[in-house]
This record gives sequence, structure tokens and C-alpha cells, in this order.
Amino acid sequence: MREYYTPTLKNRAQPNDDWIHSIRQKYPTERTLDEVLTKKLRNRTHTAEHKTDFSDLENQLVSFLKKATGQDDLVLKNLHRLSGGASKEQFTFDLTWNQGNSIRSSEKLILRMDPTESIVETHRLRESQMLNAMWGEVPVPKVHWTDPVGKELGHPFLIAGFLEGTVQPEGGDKASGLGMFFEPSLRLDLKEQFVQHLAKIHTIDWRKKDLTAYESPRENHVEGNEWSLGWWERVWQEDAVEAHPIVENAALWLRENMPTVEKPVIVHGDYRSGNFMYTEEHQINAVLDWELSHIGDFHEDLSYTTCQILGTPLEDGSVLTSGLLSKDEFLDKYQHYSGNTVDPKRLFYFDVFSYYKVAVISVATSSRAAYGRKTHLDAMMNLLSGFGYTGISALQRLLDQGS
Amino acid sequence: MSPEIEQFLSGMKKTIEDVVMPNLSDRFAQEQASIVAASLGFLGLIQDKTFHYELLENQEYKRVLTDINELLSNTFSAPAAIIETTTKVTDHFDTDKVDDPTYLRPYKFIRGSNEAMKELLCEFIQQQAEMPTELRTAFEALMKPFFKSIELRERSWVKALGFDPEAEQQADIADLLYKDGLLNIGKR
Repeated sequence: MREYYTPTLKNRAQPNDDWIHSIRQKYPTERTLDEVLTKKLRNRTHTAEHKTDFSDLENQLVSFLKKATGQDDLVLKNLHRLSGGASKEQFTFDLTWNQGNSIRSSEKLILRMDPTESIVETHRLRESQMLNAMWGEVPVPKVHWTDPVGKELGHPFLIAGFLEGTVQPEGGDKASGLGMFFEPSLRLDLKEQFVQHLAKIHTIDWRKKDLTAYESPRENHVEGNEWSLGWWERVWQEDAVEAHPIVENAALWLRENMPTVEKPVIVHGDYRSGNFMYTEEHQINAVLDWELSHIGDFHEDLSYTTCQILGTPLEDGSVLTSGLLSKDEFLDKYQHYSGNTVDPKRLFYFDVFSYYKVAVISVATSSRAAYGRKTHLDAMMNLLSGFGYTGISALQRLLDQGS
Repeated sequence: MSPEIEQFLSGMKKTIEDVVMPNLSDRFAQEQASIVAASLGFLGLIQDKTFHYELLENQEYKRVLTDINELLSNTFSAPAAIIETTTKVTDHFDTDKVDDPTYLRPYKFIRGSNEAMKELLCEFIQQQAEMPTELRTAFEALMKPFFKSIELRERSWVKALGFDPEAEQQADIADLLYKDGLLNIGKR
């Protein structure tokens, strides 16, 4: 029997309907995010610890694919678990089937599946809609099937085409691609594309895309930022395993200093090294991990991407954004390619927001997932608190500047 | 009592690194085993400081909450909700008295008391928006050095986990916790 130090901690560990209702009322967020966060809370006491036994996965997958395609003669081979990553369980497999042109062919596919609780609780329908919206705009994997509910394989999942390429250079070995080191010649080849793709994402007319799982915030209004902050405030209140004065103070600062979103754009939400892939010819051939995407302020991506803690420190003390270029160069190039003008005040607001988000993910949710033994990465979730507390330190230093 | 915990942890780390990891062929298993080894290394460094870390926090939170209660009892302008929180603080100090020899208490008692005090301090922080300007300024002045001390302490605690790009500039946690061989409980 576990001991809870306070009633709040007991509520978080064993959420009842009244408590879940009060959290939903207090921290409104987008409909589909509310859906997954509420599901997470309802499941918290109803699910056992996460099992990493996938001996039956192949059978389940074959049976789902036969049903989804109507093809009894499809062949699935080489199912393997992928290493790397910090949120979803990922597997690759080869599938031979008829892709609608009456020609039978084989393709390597990737299965991204939610663990019982993840370091970020996100919606597979949102991710698949965004990937579809990006198809033909920036390089992304092609989505084939999605189950946002989890009735087919026991957990929500998405199956997409597997793209061959490199995420981490040889000897990288960085958790989730954070602080990755690229050789100078590789930086030269990748940095321009890295900025161009983000600029492109921010200039896409999202209103013309099928993004029904996303809410559309009004122009020149705070609601886009309210949803963003509401999302992470809610996650903190649901997941934190201890109260934290600095994080609480940051939430108040963010609420009291919230700017409007002049022109809402698609925000990737996790645009950094580790979340893009490149070919042997040094071409970025995939922008990955769209699960945190939403419609909001472009400064949110800029601050997050240039956040020092996600960058690569060099021996001379400078820090490279995603291991590729300096923050100033990144922002200059971004303005050039996007036509957007960076507002230093908004950028500062989102600098604070980014560290707040890092704190929520890496101190609250990662610890909560490991506390409940709900992921395939419990050991890593504990270790990531080191990243989170370093982020809280940076958050406090920023708040000191801001005051 | 021996072996000491440090020796247990160091033995497990060595076995994982020298025996288990070289014989793992699955990349995911290798990745996870290296995380387990890193965690064991970290535990080896901090295991003998955990009790004192909590004890130091216990004293720090008691001090700051006492100061806040004093500040609020000397003002007529605090809204009712804030006064309610001060009462909760006073009630908590019945359970874990400010001048009690808390160091004789079990770890779980101290940890639980600290969590209760953290939640109370967070309540005050949320209530800043309701404070009149003068009161809020005085509250912020109390909090500023307190936030700094949390930040330095936590960053030192996790520096060995390898995520801090400025790790070399952070004090060792032992240097923050102890002064002249004794727990460095902040003096007024």
C-alpha cells in the first residue's frame, strides 16, 4: 500500500471523478487534448503497470492490417523494436500488400504506439492529421493507419512509412537527441534546410488543411496562448509528484504577462535535433515527432528551438541551436525565409514558456509515469528529472530577468 | 552495518557494465541497461545525502513560511483567502513544530512535512494576484532569495546526471549541504 504525503498527491495518484471534473474546469484546453488527458486520469487507477511483453504484437498487428486492408494475403515480416525516443514505443516491420494500384509491393513501416502513460500524453489523431497536412509541404513520413482509441492493439497507435536516414550522427548517443553534436561540415549542409523547413511550417495556410482535431484560435487574441498555457498547467496539476514554488511562480508570471497571438500558425512544438532525419547526401528527409503540434504563436517554436538547454554547448562556451547554428543566425535566417518579424518581448515570453514546458514534462510527467511504472522507459523517466531541474534553474534565472 | 549502500550500488553498476551490457544484442535493451548503470552511479553519489537534503529543506520551508505568516499578520490588507492559508500554516506547525528536533524524525515524516509546506507556499504564490501592491512587493522580496536557494540546491543535486551544460560551474551538493562538517542550516 502506497503512502501519500498530502491529499493533493493522493488525488493525483488516485483521481476520482470529482477531482478530474475540477481539473478540467480550472484548466481549459483544446477538446482533443482534454480527451487524452482525461482518459489518462481515468486510466490511472484502472490500469496495472505497463508490460513490455510484445510476444503477441505480431499476431494482433497482422489481424488489424488484414481487417484494415481487406487483404488476407498480406505478409508481415521483420518486426523489431526501435531504440531511441522518450515517449512512444516504436517498432518497424516490412509489409507486403496491395497498395490500391493492383500491384503487390513491400514497404518498411513504423508503428508508433502509446505506452500506458507517456512523458507526453498526446492524441494520435492530431498527429496523423498534422502529418497528412504536412505531406507535400515539408518532408514527413506518410501515414497509413491510425487508431486513436487503442481498441486494436491495446494502445493508441499510428502506422506510417519508415524513412531511411540518420537522426543521430555516429557516436551521438544523446537521450532523445538533446545536445547532439554535428561535425562542422554537416552543420553547414543542414542548417539552412533546418531553418527553411520551420519557416515553411509557419507560413502554411492551416485553414485550408483538414485539422479538425485542432482548435482554431482567433487572430490578435490571447486564446491561442491561453490554450497552450492551459495545456501545460493542467498537466503539471495532474502529474506533479511534488509541489514546486518556482514552477508555480512561473505559471503565474506566464498568465499575467500573456501576449496576444497576432497571426496564428502551425506550431511544431518540439522542433529540434533528434526530431529530424537526414540522408547520406545531407538532405533533411523527415521532420518527425509532431505530437505536440498545435495552432499558436510562431515565437513559441522559435523560443523552444533556441532554448539553451536543448542546444549543443561548445568548448568556447557558446551554444548551438540544435547543434547547427547560433541563436542569432537562426533568428536572422528565420526572418529571411518566413517573412515574419521576431518580437523580442514575445520571444522572451516564450523563453519562459519553453522552460516551463520543459519543467512540466521532465519533472512532473516523467516522474509520474515512472512512479506508476506505466512506461517501457521507467528508468529513463527518473533520469530525465536531471534535465527538468536544470530547466527549472534556467526558468528561475529568466524570471529574475523578467522581474 | 556492511556492506555500505554505496558498495552495493557500485557492485551492481560494475556487473551491469562489465557482464550484462557486453552480452546484450538488442539495441533497446542495451540502451536501457546503460540508463540503469547511469542511475546506479548517480545513486552512489547522493544516497548518503538524501536525509540531510530533506532536513535542510524542512528548516528552509519552516523559516520562509514563518516569515510569510509574520508579514501577513502585520498587515490589514491581506484578503480572506490568504488569511485562510496562514491558518493552514499555523495548523501544520502543530504537526511539525518549528523548534522540534526534526532530525530525530523518520525520513518519511520529514518528506511528508516538506511536501505539505511546499503546497502551502505554492498556495501563497498563487494568491499573489490577489495581494495589494505593497504586500505583493514585500512578498516578492521574501521569495527572491528563497527561489535562488532552491534553484542552486536542485541544480547541484542533479548535476551528476549529465544534463547540465554548465555542470562545472555548479557547486557540489556536499558543499551546499554542509559547512564546517555540519548541516548548513540557513541562519536569519
